[in-house]
Order: sequence, then C-alpha cells, then structure tokens
Amino acid sequence: MHDNRYTIIFTTLITMVLAFVLSSVYSSLEEITEANVRADIKKNILTSLGFKPSEEMPWSRENVEAIFNESVQSFVIDDLGKIINDKLPEDIDPKLNVNLFPLYRKVVDGKIEGYAIPISGKGLWGTMYGYFSIEPDGATAKGITFYKHIETPGLGAEVDKPWFQQNYVGKKFIDKNGQLVGIQAIKGKVDDSSSESYHQVDGISGATMTSKGLNNFLLKGLTIYNPYFEQVRKESKG
Amino acid sequence: MSLLSKQSKNTVVDPLMANNPISLQVLGICSALAVTVKMDTAVVMTLAVIAVLSISNTVISLLRKMIPAKVRIIVQLSVIASMVILTDLILQAYMYDISKQLTVFVSLIITNCIIMGRAEAFAMQNGPWRSFLDGLGNALGYGLILIGVAFFRELLGSGTIYGFQVVPDSFYAAGYENMGLMTLSPGAFIILGLIVWAQRIIGKVEQE
Repeated sequence: MHDNRYTIIFTTLITMVLAFVLSSVYSSLEEITEANVRADIKKNILTSLGFKPSEEMPWSRENVEAIFNESVQSFVIDDLGKIINDKLPEDIDPKLNVNLFPLYRKVVDGKIEGYAIPISGKGLWGTMYGYFSIEPDGATAKGITFYKHIETPGLGAEVDKPWFQQNYVGKKFIDKNGQLVGIQAIKGKVDDSSSESYHQVDGISGATMTSKGLNNFLLKGLTIYNPYFEQVRKESKG
Repeated sequence: MSLLSKQSKNTVVDPLMANNPISLQVLGICSALAVTVKMDTAVVMTLAVIAVLSISNTVISLLRKMIPAKVRIIVQLSVIASMVILTDLILQAYMYDISKQLTVFVSLIITNCIIMGRAEAFAMQNGPWRSFLDGLGNALGYGLILIGVAFFRELLGSGTIYGFQVVPDSFYAAGYENMGLMTLSPGAFIILGLIVWAQRIIGKVEQE
C-alpha cells in the first residue's frame, strides 16, 4: 500500500508531465490551427457572398486564399460610415477599436457584386457568429452564414442549414420610406400576401429563442453599418 | 509462430463481435448516436477513439503498479483526458473541417464509458502489450458499429455513401425521398436497435 506522501508526489508528477506534453503540443500546433481559423473565416465570407466550391476548385486553404485575394476587397469603416484608408480588418481589435468595423466587398471584373458584414450576438445557448451579405443596392439580402454557434442540433442549429439561409436571399431590410427594419424570422411560415413579407423569413419551429436572438443581432449589426449603406443606396439610385 | 499469440488475438477479436462494447455491453451510446449522420465523421471519430483508447490503455498499464489505489480513477481520467485533448488539438490542426463537425464530441470521448471501463477493468490488471491490444480491439468494435450505423443513416437519410451520391437522380425524379428521420437521433436509435437485434440472433447470445 502506498502512503499519502507517495500519493501526493505521484499525482503532482503525473499532472506536471501531462501538462507539459499538452502545452508543448499546443504551442507547436498553434500556428497551423490559427491559419485554419483564418481560412475558415475567409471561407465563410466567400460563402455569404455567393461563392461556391467546385470540382476543379475545391476549397483547400490555398484556393480559399487565392479566391479571396482575387475577388474580395477588405475595408474598415467607422461609425459614420467613412472608409478608413490606412487600416485593414486584421488590424482592428474589437475591444480597443469599438468604432471601427470590418467590411468586405465582392468585386468581379471591376464591378461591385455585393458586401459582407460580420454579425454576432446571443442565441439561446451562447453567442452565434456569422456573416450577412448585401446586394450592391445596399437594401437587399444576398445571403447569410454562420461559422460558430452552440445552438441545439435539430432546432436552433438549423440556422446552419441551406433551407433556412436560402430564405433570406432577396429579402429587403429597408422599408419603402428608406427606414432600416431588419429581417425577421417569424413564427411559422411567411404569408406571401402580407405587406410585411418583404422583410420576413420562415422561422425554425422549436427554436423561438434562437430566432429572436438572430433577429435582434442582425438588426443591431445592420444599424452599425447603416450610415455606410445609406450612401450605397443613394449612389445606386442616383 | 504467428504474429499474435492466440490469447492476444482473442483480446483484439473478442470485442469486435462476441463482446462488442456498443451492441452487447451497450456502452458509449451517446457519442455513437451523435456522430453517425455521415460516414466521414464516424470514420474520424473511430480513428480518434482508436488513438485515445489504445494509447491511454497502454500508458495506464505501464503505470499500473505505480498508481496509488486511492486515486486511481482520477489518475486514469487525467491520462485519458490528456490523450483526448491531444487528439482534439491534432484534429484541429490537420482536419479542421471535420473537427468542426465533430464539435464537442471529440472532447466528450473523455466521458465515454468504454474508455474508463477498459482502463479500470483491463489495463489496471494486464501488461502494456495486451492492454494496447485490448484498447485497439474495443475501439475497433466501437468503430465497427459506428460506421455501420453511419452507413445506413447516410444511405437512407441523404442518399449518399461517404459523400458520394448512390441513389440515382431518376429515383428522386420518380418521387423517392430521403428519409429525414434518419438524419435525426431517433434514426440512430432505430438502426442501432436493429443491429443489436440482428447480432443477437446471429450470435445466439444467451439472455441473462
């Protein structure tokens, strides 16, 4: 039988050995993992902007990088919607630069084909992160994607699914007077004859809290970027 | 002289069928249900469990004479937890997309009763080589059922096998629809139940 002294020494030693192994593996893989996370963010921006992987061009890390560099311009704007010229999204620290926001623009052959903005906020279980993309008119949804959330599989986690995300495409988040109204996921199916259906999408049954959260933080995100998109709307009309 | 002695061979082969940890001992069900919607996640989960179970069994077996009896469960858990975190880190670095799909289920291998069970029931009494084989065998037995369940769920629920479409478009045109139930947890229960049933008939397992 081992005495208490032995037990304490043994557990201390084994904890130290295991902690050492784990921390050295962690630090040696950290760089690769971070590159994966960055590529994944770019992949999500591309998806929300309507890019799709193909047989010839599967989304490996290199391809994502190449497509992104070729067709997406990154900007930083301030809370008045002005583009800050000497900064890139990588440079902003959300904790320090509370008035600076990243913005991505899809440009193909010199023509603007859409914008993507990050959205995030509380769902039911935790913070959800994604991108919302906007047509060049500055008023129509082009797509929505999520890259991180912990919502219930089969219920709230349906926000990940194409059927749900497809509903946003073509919806307007601006009413006819030019006011920002956001896009609401409602309970049940959207009644197409209703005058409100232009900014409503079918909700997820059994996931009321997730939908509510999503509606709120989508509107919040759009509010932040509204000064910029007001200019976009003016320009696209004029 | 064969590669493995008869006893060693039984250590590996037994858990595959006759004493399968999932279908006969009914252990580790929750993760088995969670990752079997598609075959690729089931295969990666199997590889992760093979790595964790065979390594943790070996390490615990090597330490078995040194581990104080009073704290043995905690020591086993820390070894298992470390192996799981290691596996998770490696997956995040080299198989990022799949590790995203597996989400918490890789970390939850820690709580998989098969792993604790083998550490306590086998590795604490046997030498490292046999413990390694026991870990390998049990992980393979777990994986066999996982991949089996995933095969049927993916085929019936999505019409694909390992991501390749096998149900021809003409079937869909003729009104065939994927079974949505199979992509949800109840589908896994039904398939698993059928597998357990089939195995008990074939294996003529004695009812206790």
